[in-house]
Amino acid sequence: MGPLAPNELISENTNLFLAFIIGIGFGFVLEQSGFSSSRKLAGVFYGYDTVVLKVFFTAAITAMLGLLFFSLFGWVDLNLIYVNPTYLYSAIVGGIIMGAGFIIGGYCPGTSFCGASIGKLDAFVFIGGLFIGVMIFGAGFSIWDDLYLAKFLGSPKISESLGLSDGLFGLLLILAALAMFWVAEWAEKKFPREEY
Amino acid sequence: MKPRLILAVFLVTLGLIIAAVPQNKTRQYKLTAIELLDEVNTRTQFITPEVVADMLVKKDPTLQLIDVRSQDEFEKFSLSGAINIPISNLLSESNADILDQEVKMNIFYSNGTLTANEAWMITRQLGYKNNYVLEGGLNYWFETILNPQKPASTSPDEEFAKYDFRKSAGQALGGGTISIQSKEATPSSAKPAIKTAPKKKKAAGGC
Amino acid sequence: MSESITTIKKSKYLNPYIGGVLLGLVLLAANFISGRGLGASGAIKSCIVSASTTIAPTASANLAFMKEYTSAHSGSPMKNWLVFEMLGVLVGGFLSGAIAGRLKFKVEHSPKITSKKRLILALAGGILFGYGSQLGRGCTSGSALSGMAVLSLGGFITMMAIFGTAFALAYFFRKNWI
Repeated sequence: MGPLAPNELISENTNLFLAFIIGIGFGFVLEQSGFSSSRKLAGVFYGYDTVVLKVFFTAAITAMLGLLFFSLFGWVDLNLIYVNPTYLYSAIVGGIIMGAGFIIGGYCPGTSFCGASIGKLDAFVFIGGLFIGVMIFGAGFSIWDDLYLAKFLGSPKISESLGLSDGLFGLLLILAALAMFWVAEWAEKKFPREEY
Repeated sequence: MKPRLILAVFLVTLGLIIAAVPQNKTRQYKLTAIELLDEVNTRTQFITPEVVADMLVKKDPTLQLIDVRSQDEFEKFSLSGAINIPISNLLSESNADILDQEVKMNIFYSNGTLTANEAWMITRQLGYKNNYVLEGGLNYWFETILNPQKPASTSPDEEFAKYDFRKSAGQALGGGTISIQSKEATPSSAKPAIKTAPKKKKAAGGC
Repeated sequence: MSESITTIKKSKYLNPYIGGVLLGLVLLAANFISGRGLGASGAIKSCIVSASTTIAPTASANLAFMKEYTSAHSGSPMKNWLVFEMLGVLVGGFLSGAIAGRLKFKVEHSPKITSKKRLILALAGGILFGYGSQLGRGCTSGSALSGMAVLSLGGFITMMAIFGTAFALAYFFRKNWI
């Protein structure tokens, strides 16, 4: 049955329309969780507000469990779902640069749009920066295309790479996440700050 | 019970279930004759020389050319980056890793299409994915990429665009200098490139 | 855990775990409907590709980056899943802000720094994030979150690199936030 669009059960335009609806849900939940506030987002790195960690991992686990169960029931064909390709070096270097951007700018792209939608001026400036950053990448593409394409590993699943079944890895991820939540709750009590 | 504890118990329970049940691996393994016939009829396995040339010029890391001719022929001439798996050795165990994988896009080629297509059909029947055939084989490759014929002056624009692309790609692959810009400025380069996404049904994604 | 429940109840925001489950369901819906995860930075890329091909068609056709994009996407760059999704994010965020009474133009920053400094840092962070998201093929939502949901190895690597770096650098930028 699923995924609907790749199985051509819904048309391309319906898919785009549903993308808009999904986006509304995405933006709504992000804003409701407080992701429109950069100080709240940055809080995770100082322990005073770990909402990012909690929302992020709960969401990843929920979606992962959902997909695994959907696949188990035959509702969705996991082979048709996009798995991000892994280019080892660019994933690491890109991640490091993004991490620096996160702690300096206080947003990530999704949350900056969310912040901008409720009038955060720093989010607008951050989005401006995003455009400049993407343009710099585009303009100098030939300089770093070697790094961009290096060490291509296909689209492996982490469970395959570790030699585990998807389900077992899922269970381990859940346990790891619960442990992190526990640390997060502890940290929030240890480094209390009033809410922004 | 506290809501957070409920959530934790709920998640762990689901995790235990999903870890315990066998993974659903219903993949389209071992095609039925009808499915195979369907694929043969739609000619989905064929990749045009333009697409392959485009990938070669761009040094696409997913491309793996496989020469299924004999070793002698391979040594005399082969496409750049190609590896040699003579069709007689196709099923040897050492080749299984190359042929049965989901990382690279294998493109079989032979002089014509016959041998390459045989190789494709055998691997496809085994349920291997990501194997394709160079349309027209090396003969057509010479004709179109390395030695393209200028279209008649009355030909439509697309023919000229195609010709320009072939010529520039041919020069690039033949070792001559070529400005990649001129190649890419032609509309035809975009068109075959779209076809380079062989996982047609798979959703495109990324950020 | 029992004491902190009271602090959560006081919060003007949604309980993060409920928020996480809801976000997970949105992500699951995206995967079920469109066979792909959420994203954000890709929409910016689409805008830039579309803008540059309109303003300077020949110059941009020469850029390898644009070629990379046009070869992977057919049709108009703006008729893109992520562009529609991000428009939805703006609407969704606005709706949520309106319901919660959070709509207000302001610059948010620590009392220890000026608004101007905050804006300069936001710009710098944006540039870094924009660049990094292209190199890493996706940002926190596209690569890390969506990648983790489909158990992508790259998603986990990017996630660890992002959060690891941010944690490592957090000390040096503490004045901006605390």
